[in-house]
Amino acid sequence: MCNLFKSIVVAAALLLLGPCTVTKCMAFGSPSSSETTMHTNNWAVLVCTSRFWFNYRHMANTLSLYRTVKRLGIPDERIILMLADDMACNARNKYPAQVFNNENHRLNLYGDNVEVDYRGYEVTVENFLRVLTGRHENAVPRSKRLLSDEGSHILLYMTGHGGDEFLKFQDSEELQSHDLADAVKQMKEKHRFKELLIMVDTCQAATLFSQLQSPGVLAIGSSMKGENSYSHHLDSDVGVSVVDRFTFYTLAFFERLNMYDNASLSSLFNSYNPTLLMSTAYYRTDLYQQHLEEVPVTNFFGSVMETIHTDSTYKALSVKSFSRAEIKMPLDQPANDNERRILADSNGQDQISNPKKEEQQGAFRHLWNTINDKVEKIEDVDSFVQYGLLVMLPVLLLPTLLSW
Amino acid sequence: MVAEKETPRPKPRPIVQLGIFLISHSLLFSVIFSTAGVLALLLLPVLAKNTYISENALMPGSVAPMLSNQEVAEANRLVKDLTSLNSKPLSSAIGSQRLISQYMSNLGAEVSHHKFHPQLNQFHPLHFFSSPDSGRVEQNISCALHGVNTVGIIRAPRGDGKEAIVLVTPFNSVKLNQNEALSLAIAYSVFSLLTRVPWLAKDVIWLVADSQFGEYSGVAAWLRDYHTPVFSGPGTLDAEMCPESNNIYGLNENLFTERTIYDGFKRAGTMAAALVIKVADRSEQYEDSLSIYAEASNGQMPNLDLINIVNYLAVHRQGLRVKVEKFWPLLGLKLLKTLGEIFESLGHLARSVNPQWKFGIPAADYIEGSATLASSLYYQALGVPTGPHGAFRDYQVDAITLEIFPKVSSLDNKVRQNDFLLRSGRLIEGVIRSVNNLLEKFHQSFFLYLLTSPGKFVSVGVYMIAFALLVAPLPMVAASLYVDASNSDYSLKIDKPAPLANASGEPCITLKSWKWLFAAKKVFFVHLWGSAVSLLPYFICQIPSCTPTSSFIIWVFLSILSLVVMYIVLASPSSHANESQPQRGEWAILKSVTLSAAFIGLCLMSVINFATAEIGGLLMVPMCLMAHPLKLDVKARSIRTVSRVVYNLVLGFIGFPPVAFIVLKGAFEGFSGVNVGDFWSWAESLWAWNSGTYLYIGMVHLPCWVLCIHILFHRC
Repeated sequence: MCNLFKSIVVAAALLLLGPCTVTKCMAFGSPSSSETTMHTNNWAVLVCTSRFWFNYRHMANTLSLYRTVKRLGIPDERIILMLADDMACNARNKYPAQVFNNENHRLNLYGDNVEVDYRGYEVTVENFLRVLTGRHENAVPRSKRLLSDEGSHILLYMTGHGGDEFLKFQDSEELQSHDLADAVKQMKEKHRFKELLIMVDTCQAATLFSQLQSPGVLAIGSSMKGENSYSHHLDSDVGVSVVDRFTFYTLAFFERLNMYDNASLSSLFNSYNPTLLMSTAYYRTDLYQQHLEEVPVTNFFGSVMETIHTDSTYKALSVKSFSRAEIKMPLDQPANDNERRILADSNGQDQISNPKKEEQQGAFRHLWNTINDKVEKIEDVDSFVQYGLLVMLPVLLLPTLLSW
Repeated sequence: MVAEKETPRPKPRPIVQLGIFLISHSLLFSVIFSTAGVLALLLLPVLAKNTYISENALMPGSVAPMLSNQEVAEANRLVKDLTSLNSKPLSSAIGSQRLISQYMSNLGAEVSHHKFHPQLNQFHPLHFFSSPDSGRVEQNISCALHGVNTVGIIRAPRGDGKEAIVLVTPFNSVKLNQNEALSLAIAYSVFSLLTRVPWLAKDVIWLVADSQFGEYSGVAAWLRDYHTPVFSGPGTLDAEMCPESNNIYGLNENLFTERTIYDGFKRAGTMAAALVIKVADRSEQYEDSLSIYAEASNGQMPNLDLINIVNYLAVHRQGLRVKVEKFWPLLGLKLLKTLGEIFESLGHLARSVNPQWKFGIPAADYIEGSATLASSLYYQALGVPTGPHGAFRDYQVDAITLEIFPKVSSLDNKVRQNDFLLRSGRLIEGVIRSVNNLLEKFHQSFFLYLLTSPGKFVSVGVYMIAFALLVAPLPMVAASLYVDASNSDYSLKIDKPAPLANASGEPCITLKSWKWLFAAKKVFFVHLWGSAVSLLPYFICQIPSCTPTSSFIIWVFLSILSLVVMYIVLASPSSHANESQPQRGEWAILKSVTLSAAFIGLCLMSVINFATAEIGGLLMVPMCLMAHPLKLDVKARSIRTVSRVVYNLVLGFIGFPPVAFIVLKGAFEGFSGVNVGDFWSWAESLWAWNSGTYLYIGMVHLPCWVLCIHILFHRC
């Protein structure tokens, strides 16, 4: 009897405490990492998952995108390029050591400046997930790691053969939508990105996004469930299809742009014509807070960093020039600007003006962030805690009385 | 625990009940099943599906052909040189070989010569299903007889050298034909192109097979040597056997010393596919066309994808008309025409009920389809390869023979001939490029199929149904006969010694229930005799100067003699034992065991060679099912029994293998030239090619026929 009663009382106490803790968590969680930190750098993970000569187009897709993001400013050390097979050196290739994505053969995608980070049988589901989550063996060199931080914008491009909620890797394994969602979740928890754009060109690409939950993730797929993604054209000289439709029209969009263009993501999304694609491009935007009209494509496909002028080298001395520095923030997030300015005013230590420094001091700054957030939210939370404790007191007293 | 004790006799399971039901109505069901089996066979052309290319890697026709008039001009030069060489009678054989190897090595290919001795077609009783290279240790080779294959190999510039594609052109060096020269020209034009292309991933072997001993033997000999490397030094085996002929051709003369012509055996990797190219000596009336031959020994077929890519490229890229072999006599058959019309109208009816149902094909297509299907079944059942490609199948290499028919006028006209060479060459180039894309062996598509047209096939899953329906009555009737016979015996027993059943009934009943053992023994010995009969030709072959007719008569005579001897030696004690037993159900038990043996034999054969089993089943199932002692029928004298007697006699006559052969041959070719010796020659060709059909006839069909005859004339 006594035991039963006790447990009921404890349960009741937990129930009462529950809402309080939940609100606390929410208060700590979402705004701290993604909303408040500024965009520091851009990364791209480009994956071609299929082997074999007849999948030439997948390698060509990936290499074309590699070229595009490089042209738009992401440096090679921030691009992880994974190619599951080497078409350029395939004996069947009529043009040895060259890869083309168009039958006019004007552009060799496999020129001098291609750094392939994972090639051939290194491209596995395991390695892919390791790259995303950052759980590497000690010996893996820095060039093969995704060293992003909580201010990074990451472009994840994948192409290959897919199906309902999976993507085939290497003809032997597959990445499921759960795996992808789990990896993204881990990345979020480990503060490995601020915003993530997942672009997938496979059959039934939309199904790969169905399990995603993490905020700040934007997803584009080449086709809906039950649809195929088709190749664009056949090169009758090489004897294979050289590019997929979705990627072809994506590239066509980007060829018109340079680094400083302000084309928005929505203009990219609207450029896909279902009759030309022969499939319906799918966007998942519910996890992404900002308006797509206001986000330039270079946020993901390029690396346009605004330099912030500071009067002195050391941040300790730069407190007074804060408001001025803030005004120079990139224009890409006007919605957040006010909010951030207020934040910056309230606790000035948060904003570190030099992006490079910021990157190196990621851990230190993260600690600062959490402390700052606690300080910021303390008014709301405190009252909750106090009320909770007050309610708990009589509840705790009751069993003590009864057990006597 | 309690429940177990409460149910001592559980209700039989549904499948057992179904079995009992089928057995108890076996007459009805056997009629239904065997009719359905024959109907399903007739339906196969309607059920045929369109072929499709199953392997992604092949990508036929995705690339523009590179073969140009330049290569064709070179090939024409080769033809001209060959014909001019051939017009001079002296040393043309050596000269043409040398010319071809000269041309090959000028292209930069590795050239070697392969000398072989033709194998005599002999009966090797132990060679059925054995590996083909066991024929290598052949002692009685006559050293004077030998042929020389010329082999050119192009190494893939960036390939790994582990795989190869083989082109074969049969070529009689002693007597050059115009069509053989043309096939050489086609192969040469492709070969010269391939020496220059950068995209080869597999080596290319061009085998100019010496066909003076038949097209098959040269290819088979080369394949045998290709797959059995000799490690004791180059050419020692041949040198030991025929020391004087080692250097007869003088191929190492100073003329060729700088060249890469090599007298030893050259190899490339494992073969991915092989194409045998022939130009037919008769021409086609209207357009260039292409015949595909695919059947290898024992009804083995190459992967359907290989036929598909050839068909696709020929039809959609080069505009050639593709044919597969048809059984011409069937085309005029009235029965087929009516059947086709019935199926067509049924299809229309089905479509009017539901437009989704795509059933039924035009009557003309049906007739064509069934003629093709019949020839496909026939050539598979024969188990004799239809061309040199059969040699490749023995090494699990997918191969087909392409016989190209030029249009009538094309060979006179130079422009037309160039066009013909260009199109055929581009077809070969396309197929090679497609196979070159392959990563693994052909494995995606079907190996077990029957063609009803170049673009339609019936897969194993469909045609097995017809066979299963056909043979299903055998076990059913066997079981019902056995049950009836043992029941009647049992009731007989119970009538007489009913009170003694407890005391002495048990040993008696076991004796009764083991009664089928006597029948099984008889069936076993007859089958043993059957295998002895199929071994007899081995000895008959040794008799010198025997015509086919006399050999055949000796064979029949020896078979009957051995049957009589066996009967005297073995059957007498068992018949003595049977004498005391009541004879009533004995024939029924014997028939039941015969049916079981026939069923097992047919099922085994359907695994080895489906077509043989299907045709054998069509002959054997009615014969075995109908077998009934004539004596009983004659005694009864009703219309039913008399018709059964007639039916049985006709079936028993037709069922004898030589008679069946002669009747079929006569029906399709006319009885004028039919001779009993033909059966001997036919059987000779079967064992020469190690065909399983021969074993089937000797060890399944013949014993079952003897047992049926035995039942017919049973004294009961």
